[in-house]
Amino acid sequence: MGKKRVGALEKVDADLSNLQYKIRRDPRSYNEEFSQQYRQYQTQRDIFLANPNTDATNGIVSFKDLIDFVAHVADCYLEATKPFPEELKEILTLHHAELESELREKIVGSLVLLRRKDIIDSTELLNTLFPILVSTPSKTLRTLLYQKILGDLRTSNSKTKNHKLNRTIQTALYNLLTSDRTSQKGLWAVKITRELWKRQIWTDSKAVEIMKEASLANNEKVIGGGVRFFLGGDKEREDKEDEVSGEEEAIDMGKLKHQALINKKTKKKAKTMERAVDKVKRDRKKKNAPHPLNFSALHLLHDPQGFAENLFQKHLQNSKSKLNLEQKLLVLQLVSRLVGLHQLTIISLYSYFIKYLTPKQPSVTSFLASLAQATHKFVPPDALEPLIVKIANEFVSEASASEVAAAGLNAIREICVRQPMAMNDTLLQDLVMYRKSKDKGTMMAAKGLLSLYREANPDLLKKRDRGKTASMGIKSGAIQQRRFGEEDAGGIEGLELLEEWKESERKRKRAERGLPELGTDEEEESSEDEQDWEVASNSSSDSGGWINVESDAEIEISDSDDDKPSAKRVKLDKTVVKDSTPAEPEDPAAAKKENEDKISKLATTKILTPADLLKLQELRNSAAVAKAMGGNRIQTARLKEMMARHADDALTADQIEGFAKLQKNTREEKIAMAREGKGDRNEHKSTQAIRRAKKDSEGKSTTNKEKSRKKNFLMTLGKAKYKQKRSLVQTKRVLQGHIERAKRGGKRGNIGM
Amino acid sequence: MGSSMKKKRDKKKDFQKPKLRLGKAKAKADNFTDTSFKAKAIIVNQQSLSTSAPSSALQFSHFLSLASSSKSETQRRDALAYLTSQISTKPVNEPLPIPATVILPKLLSLLLDGSTSVRTNLLKLLALLPSGDISAHAETALLYIRAGMTHLAADIRRDALLALEWLLTSTSSNTNDPVVSCPGGWVKTLNCFMTMLGWAASKEPTSWTSASKASFDKTGKMFPQQLTVLAHFIRAGLEEDQTGSIHYSGFGFFQLENRHMMMPSVPNAFAHLNLFGRCRDEEGEMYVDREDRQRVFHRVFMDAVEKGIERAKKEAGEAGRAGAVLQKVLHDGMADFDGSD
Repeated sequence: MGKKRVGALEKVDADLSNLQYKIRRDPRSYNEEFSQQYRQYQTQRDIFLANPNTDATNGIVSFKDLIDFVAHVADCYLEATKPFPEELKEILTLHHAELESELREKIVGSLVLLRRKDIIDSTELLNTLFPILVSTPSKTLRTLLYQKILGDLRTSNSKTKNHKLNRTIQTALYNLLTSDRTSQKGLWAVKITRELWKRQIWTDSKAVEIMKEASLANNEKVIGGGVRFFLGGDKEREDKEDEVSGEEEAIDMGKLKHQALINKKTKKKAKTMERAVDKVKRDRKKKNAPHPLNFSALHLLHDPQGFAENLFQKHLQNSKSKLNLEQKLLVLQLVSRLVGLHQLTIISLYSYFIKYLTPKQPSVTSFLASLAQATHKFVPPDALEPLIVKIANEFVSEASASEVAAAGLNAIREICVRQPMAMNDTLLQDLVMYRKSKDKGTMMAAKGLLSLYREANPDLLKKRDRGKTASMGIKSGAIQQRRFGEEDAGGIEGLELLEEWKESERKRKRAERGLPELGTDEEEESSEDEQDWEVASNSSSDSGGWINVESDAEIEISDSDDDKPSAKRVKLDKTVVKDSTPAEPEDPAAAKKENEDKISKLATTKILTPADLLKLQELRNSAAVAKAMGGNRIQTARLKEMMARHADDALTADQIEGFAKLQKNTREEKIAMAREGKGDRNEHKSTQAIRRAKKDSEGKSTTNKEKSRKKNFLMTLGKAKYKQKRSLVQTKRVLQGHIERAKRGGKRGNIGM
Repeated sequence: MGSSMKKKRDKKKDFQKPKLRLGKAKAKADNFTDTSFKAKAIIVNQQSLSTSAPSSALQFSHFLSLASSSKSETQRRDALAYLTSQISTKPVNEPLPIPATVILPKLLSLLLDGSTSVRTNLLKLLALLPSGDISAHAETALLYIRAGMTHLAADIRRDALLALEWLLTSTSSNTNDPVVSCPGGWVKTLNCFMTMLGWAASKEPTSWTSASKASFDKTGKMFPQQLTVLAHFIRAGLEEDQTGSIHYSGFGFFQLENRHMMMPSVPNAFAHLNLFGRCRDEEGEMYVDREDRQRVFHRVFMDAVEKGIERAKKEAGEAGRAGAVLQKVLHDGMADFDGSD
């Protein structure tokens, strides 16, 4: 029999890991060895406590290893190791600054291990680690502790929410922030809360309350952390969620089953199979689980008015505030966001903007965006009017750059979308003139303003600018000026569209069955409703995979002599008819009454299913698009985009800047732009030739100019001859037209700018 | 034309082969760089030069630091050997180059050293230190001795016992031996003995297979020695304080309390009040009086020790004899204890 090989440590009997392994297998038999080692730990601890800052690792077995050993087997000897966690905590709390780093890490790790073995509870652990995290000067320890704290909070919330623990920690964080508002320690509270918010572990108002305190702190970094959370925390959370759901790749069960049939059957493979089945089941369950209600942080705030006022007074109005411009802009964004979202009233906020509204102001577009964001329909127009006048005077003039003018017009439009009454007629008429501008950004911005007021208050526009729909609406009284603070009587927007659609759908179905078009068939209705309850089933059945192409509407309307028009056609028919002939000699009050009747009938007699609501949204959108059909495609697309933008979303500086970017391109960007489309310069070829080759390879056709250049000479002779044959009058007309165009400054003219 | 001819010649020169001649140095290469330099003095880093040899005191401290903090075990061992020879060869009346109170704290941690030769040398060195200075460091020494006694390695445990024996003999001349009366000295050390001997487990009922493995494995050879040291220790703790009683009788009845009025002869005389330290638990408490020690011993250890002695005596041989000695010591020590707490 061969000699047993023994390791160097085993020879001297100092192999703790070996002993640990043995103990874990049979704790009772090794009781004596354990007690000896535990005694050793105690004596080493005594030595350590006698002078904690010296390194006592000159023996074979260091204190660190002993701690590790005891922590690993503590669950086998619960009675004997009762004081062990307490002792570790004490060492860490008292000596964390002077401990040797490895020993320190080991103690933290052991405490977490004890927590995992359920020897101590989370609250105890976190209450030990958190004060150290805040107070320690060592960066490595801080990162370690931060990791461990987060990890522990995540594990203890993984199965179900541990409300008790969360509450304790939240209270600790809150106290940390409120106890000393000037210190930077609060940053840890912000960091932890933000991380947990991102992972959807904390989604309650208490976490929001912590962040609220952070944004009202006195330290710049803490303020920045708090404010950034409100501005971006929810987006971060959504991104994280998408990321997580995107990560899971689907398991092909069929393939696995097939493999299991063919391949060699081993225990391991059976286990993998089992796990895969488990995962698929879990995924399915997760998919079917109801979506958790996650309110955004801004909605969970208690007393948003007080918060917004405090923020504004403390950080913006206060002349002693030490924030720099960037931080101030962040705070301003938050305040304006709150004001816009909760429709708060802070009158002094608007006068605060005045001094920042000049083109020279750095990042002025952010200020403009904030101003627009802070506007809502309950802001008194008197407060906004001077601001709009200032923007118009400073930004929108012939003398200013086109980008500046575009930004100013965009800002004015965004403000007026939210409060149309802030505009007066002379100013609006002046601004609308810019739609003739040669700069595209300015032109678009002015057109946007025009189309806005065609809907909101066409009275302010000149008669010829109002457009057909608006002027007819004014004449018939359908469009009336809104008063300040006026609200629509309650109702569901587009409900009548849904009703019409339902009616037509029913008719169609009855027609299919050969029944008379009118008449009631309640049982049929109810069964149909049941079918349509689920969103998914409905969407797959009713549209049948066909996409509603709007540009065909005109054609379809013309052939209305069809006996059984499809649902789509009927719907479009009605909406277009409603749009184009609103000038019925009907008294508006009567129409309104009828409308109200309709609303009450559908919304109060039936329960709207999710499928119904989805259809309603679809109808609403298509109606709005159909209304804007007069405009070109781009406008329609923009309209769609504006509708898609949710009221909760923030307005950004990019949206104010519009097409034109205010900042110039850098040199690299310019070079890249110049290089673009020119291909590589390996062979000597003209730019034109390279472009041509590229277009050919993409399968694109030639331009008219190119075609004419390549045209056979003999074929052009006829036209050339005709030019000589022109009469004097014709020649004069051509020449005069040329002079005229030259005076105007090209085909589109120099009007505006 | 002349210049062009010159250029041609110059060019030609590049391709001509240099003629080598015997006894002449080889021509330098074109790109040769002269790297020689002149300097008035050259300073080489990390070299200490002095005209006189280091003094013995300096060398002593150097070797002391080498012994306590060197990474290599041979270096530690040699340094210890050097220190030992220095101390042993010095004249009797001459004091140590560095006082023992400085030497001790530096060297005590070597009790846990992994190398056997280092520990042996350390014990030799310790034995040479004057016994008067040791009692002040009894508490620190005990910390390391206890750590050694519970160590995973058997050799270290054995050497720790030797160290304890040394400590007991060198401090036994004191009244109120600091080894047993310092904080933690009595209960904690006895605890260590119990785990070492495997007697601690007898508190809770276990199966007979797990009982007293100490005599089976290779620590069995150490068993008699352990019993002897334990007997020594218990004698130090429980023995009637003869010097003290003589002391009392020397003075008259009126001067009975005289001792308390005089200047204390021991360092830190009020340590038992624990004015500045952390709170102590039962194990870490100071047991200054013999009666205190008896009471604690009776309450915590008496049963286990008696059972252990019974078992040791059954083993007969050296272990049995050591057990008998221990029993006698115990009997003497606890003779006047009335058993009432």
